[in-house]
Formats: sequence, C-alpha cells, structure tokens
Amino acid sequence: MKIEFRDICVDAGGKKILHEVNLTAECGKMTGIIGPNGCGKSTLLKTTLGISPMEAGEILLDGASLAGFSNKKLAQLYGYVGQDSDCVFDFTAYEIVSMAAHIRGKTSKKSEKEIVMNSLEQLEIPHLKDRNIQSLSGGERKMVFIARAFAQGVDTIILDEPTNHLDIKHQLFILDILRKSKKTILIVLHDLRLAAHYCDTLYLMKQGKAVYSGSPSEVLQKDRVRQVFGVEGFASEKEDGTLDFHLQMN
Amino acid sequence: MRQDNGKNLRGMFLFPILILALCASLLLVISKGSTDISLSVVYGILNDQIFHGGMGLKEGLWARADYQIIWNIRLPRVLFGILCGAGLGLCGAVMQALVLNPIADPYILGISSGASSGAACALLLPIPFFSGQYQTTIMAMIGALISSFLVYFMARFAGGGKLHPVTLLLSGTAINAVMSAVTGFLIFIAKSSESIASVYNWQMGSLAAAQWSTITVPAFGVCLGLIVCVSQSGKLNLMMMGDEDAAALGLSVKHFRAGMFIICSIIVASLVSVTGIIGFVGLVVPHVARLLLRSSNNKFIIPLSALSGAIYLMWADSLARSAFRAAELPIGIITAFVGAPFFLFLMIRKNYRGQNG
Repeated sequence: MKIEFRDICVDAGGKKILHEVNLTAECGKMTGIIGPNGCGKSTLLKTTLGISPMEAGEILLDGASLAGFSNKKLAQLYGYVGQDSDCVFDFTAYEIVSMAAHIRGKTSKKSEKEIVMNSLEQLEIPHLKDRNIQSLSGGERKMVFIARAFAQGVDTIILDEPTNHLDIKHQLFILDILRKSKKTILIVLHDLRLAAHYCDTLYLMKQGKAVYSGSPSEVLQKDRVRQVFGVEGFASEKEDGTLDFHLQMN
Repeated sequence: MRQDNGKNLRGMFLFPILILALCASLLLVISKGSTDISLSVVYGILNDQIFHGGMGLKEGLWARADYQIIWNIRLPRVLFGILCGAGLGLCGAVMQALVLNPIADPYILGISSGASSGAACALLLPIPFFSGQYQTTIMAMIGALISSFLVYFMARFAGGGKLHPVTLLLSGTAINAVMSAVTGFLIFIAKSSESIASVYNWQMGSLAAAQWSTITVPAFGVCLGLIVCVSQSGKLNLMMMGDEDAAALGLSVKHFRAGMFIICSIIVASLVSVTGIIGFVGLVVPHVARLLLRSSNNKFIIPLSALSGAIYLMWADSLARSAFRAAELPIGIITAFVGAPFFLFLMIRKNYRGQNG
C-alpha cells in the first residue's frame, strides 16, 4: 500500500512539532526517515494511528483519506511498531502476538495458533513463546512486537526505531527480514549506515520539516549531513553496488 | 488463548475449585453468627426453599426462627456480599486494564466516593424525583459518572491531551478527596441525626442494609456488568498494551475507555448506594487472581476476579459481623486493614512504571 503524507502540521503545547511535512512511502519499498532527536520523526509516524490531532494536512492510503477509515480497518491495512511498545502486565510472548490475530477476521483456534507460530518462527523466536514479556530483554521484546505486526497479515508496516535495544546481528536480521518481505515499509532509523544500506528512499528531517528527500546517495551528501546533524559524514557506493555511510570521528 | 502450555489447565482447575469454595463458604458463613445454626439445617432450609417451594417449612421440619434467620436475614446479606465482591473485583480488573496501571480500582480512582456523595445527596437533601432506594441508586450513579468524567478530563488536561496512567491516578486521588469533602459537607449541613448516622455508616461500608428488597438493582448491575466485561476481555487485553498499541491493533481507544468507565460506574453505583464505600477490594482481588493464574489475560482474570472477590467479601463480612459480638464492625475497616498492606507489598514487589509515565 502506498502512504502519502500531505502538508502535515502538528502542534503541541503551542509549539510546532511538524510543519507542512510531505512524504510518500511507495508500495513495496523501504522508506526511511532520519534526523536528529526531537525533529518530529516519531510524531509523524504517530499521525497514522489517528489518536493525535493534526492541525492541518492529510494522509492518503492508496489515494483514500485515512480520516475515513475506522481503527479496525486501519489495523487491516498496516501494522505499527512503536518506539515505546512495552507491557507492564503479565502476558506471554504468544499472548502478545495472538492479540493481532483477530485483525484478520474470524479465524479458527487452529489458524490463530498457526498465525502466531508462523510469525514467531519468521523472527526465529518460537522458543520465547511461553516466556513472560516482562522477563524478556529489551531486544527480545522488540522482536515480539515486530512478530505481532507480522501476525496482522498486512502488506505495510510502520516502525519507529525498531533496531533500538537490538545487538548488531539482530539489527541486520530484522532489516533483512523487512526487506525480503517485499512489504511497504516506513521506518525511522537512527543508524545512518543501516539507513544508507537498506532504504530505497530517505527523508531527512530537521526541526519539524522534511528538508531533503531522495535516494540515500542523494540525501546523505556531505553538506546535507553537516547541515542537519552537525557532523562530517557521507554515503558512498561500495564495490558490490550497495551504499555505505562513512562517519568522520575525531 | 493458548491451548498447549498449562495456563488454560491452571484456569480449568481454578474455576471449579473456586466455585466449590464459593458454595462451601456460602453455607459456612450463613451458619455462623450471633446464633450458630448447624450446617445440615442451613443446607436443608436452602434446598427446601429453592427446590421444593418451602414444603419442609409448612410440614414443620425446622423452626420458623431458623428459617427467618437463614432465609430472610443472612442469605440476602451473604448474596449481597457475593455481588459486592464480584462487582468490585471485576471493576478493579477492568479499571487496571483501562488506565494501564496495576494499582487502580474504583476506590482509588474516586468513583466510589463519587457514588457515595451522590447517594448522600439523595439521603440528606430534598430531591424532588423518585424516592427510596431508586432515588439513592440513581443519585449514586450520577455521582459516580460525574466523578469518572472529572477524573478522565482532568487527567487528559494535565497530560496535554493524552491520558497518562500516572496523571489518571493523581486526578483520581484528587477527585476522591473532593467527593469525600462534598459528603462531609452534606453531613455538616444536614439536620437529621438519623440521616447523618446512615451517611457516616456508608463511608465505612456495611452490608447491614442488605435485604431481599434491596438486592435487585445490584444483582442486575453486577450480572450485566460481568457479561459485558467478559465479552470485552479481548479488547481489555489490547488496552493493557497502551493507547498507541491498542489503536494500532484496531481499537477505538477513546470510545472504548469511556464506555467501559460508564459501565464500571454503573456497577459501582448500584453497590455503593446500598453498602457504602468498601475500599481496596478492587485493588487486591485482581492481583490475587493474576497471582493464581500467573497471567493477565482478561478472558480468565475478569471472571476469576469476580469469583475470588465474592469469596473474599463473604468472609470479610462474616468477620465484620462476628469480630465484636456487641456491635458490628464496618466491613470497610477490614478490607482496608487487608488492602493497605497489600498495596504496599505491591509497590515494593514491583517497580511500577506507567506505560507512558
């Protein structure tokens, strides 16, 4: 599914958090959002949940306005893995993932079990199924919440810093799975190296505005990185044709 | 939800055991009191009244005095205890899910004191519509709903448009204090000493007003509430994941939370209008249920909370009746003595952090 954000404006406490942001996540592609802390990346993703008010702008899902869909319908269109997804109650990993199974409509007990186990296996965490979510590490929890988005059976997933808490092996593992899934992925990333390597399109945000967009090699140019992040770095092509990001450290 | 990991098995054992415990407690509690009556007589009279239309009484199988005590005095009271415990237990479980905080209940969130001040208005002020228990119940419901809305909107306002678990608890505490002050003020300006005594009794909670004539409204409220809450248990599980995740999983969070708050207010008001404020039941019981089940899955926790709450309050009332032979102890004192240390135990046992707080 194609997601288009058009002129999104969000205010909070009299302060402009997002100012006329335009962004398009193309069907079947991985679109990354990068930018310094507090530039509005997470707020932009949260507008897709329909629970935070927008001052202006519109979100289009395959051309249809998001405002016209119920929460239930939206959950049938895309999954969302938040930055703060967590749980203070005693649920097992299985129970957490099974919460998404109802979204597919009426499913028999067996198929619910199949859906949940398939999602857990896809993320290679079936061994965690009976573990209490509170006893899992931050990284393991993240994997469970991503498995839940997979269990929704949707072709689009929105993720807010999914690589947080994950070790480097699992960061690559998650991003590989997302890329291979051929789903439409809208993802906030902090690691510019991962963003350069995995994303088809990047949006670079600064102070509530999407200041640059394009392919990773276009967006991660030296002057742009310096202007937005205040550091020296740039993306360059490797021998195998993929992109790498070089950061100059003192 | 899960079929293969023993959790359902645990539930499958727990429910029959607790139902048996409920039935056994009912007989035991009815037999105990200022006059002890043997279990066989209690069983005989109940069996005769329920299944044989009181034939045994007509044939003189037992003393009329025993029948009066068991059927007209103790049974309605014990049934009221069951309803009250079940209602408060299930409301506690629901509210903990709704506000995403394991230390919430109708008492802490100010709904009980809202209902109490509504009922105090009915008792102490000249209200022109309805009369008797219906007036008290309706006023209690209005009070509970006003409390719920005030808590909800204060928390939203303080949270900058968002509902944080911590601000909800804080605004609940504030409304609780205000509503208790309203009740106190009504007592202060009241003229009749009889009314003042009954309102005072209420603030401590008592099942002494339980009679066949006062049981219909709470029975209706609790049974309806139980059915609705069990049917919504899947959505309550989603609420336990936080507003954002619940919305992402297809729930219309605002409407659902408001609807469930109204249902809880109605249940609590139907009980408080007869019993007064019985604190901490809704806090303690869902935790005991979760400890027993070792899960927070509301599909099991809500009926389990209702069952364990019923047993808990039945025995608490029995203790209230028998602790001091000369006078009856308000049941709220017993539940507070049990609940407050449990509250502390919970805080020490877990480092509670709200989802967003």
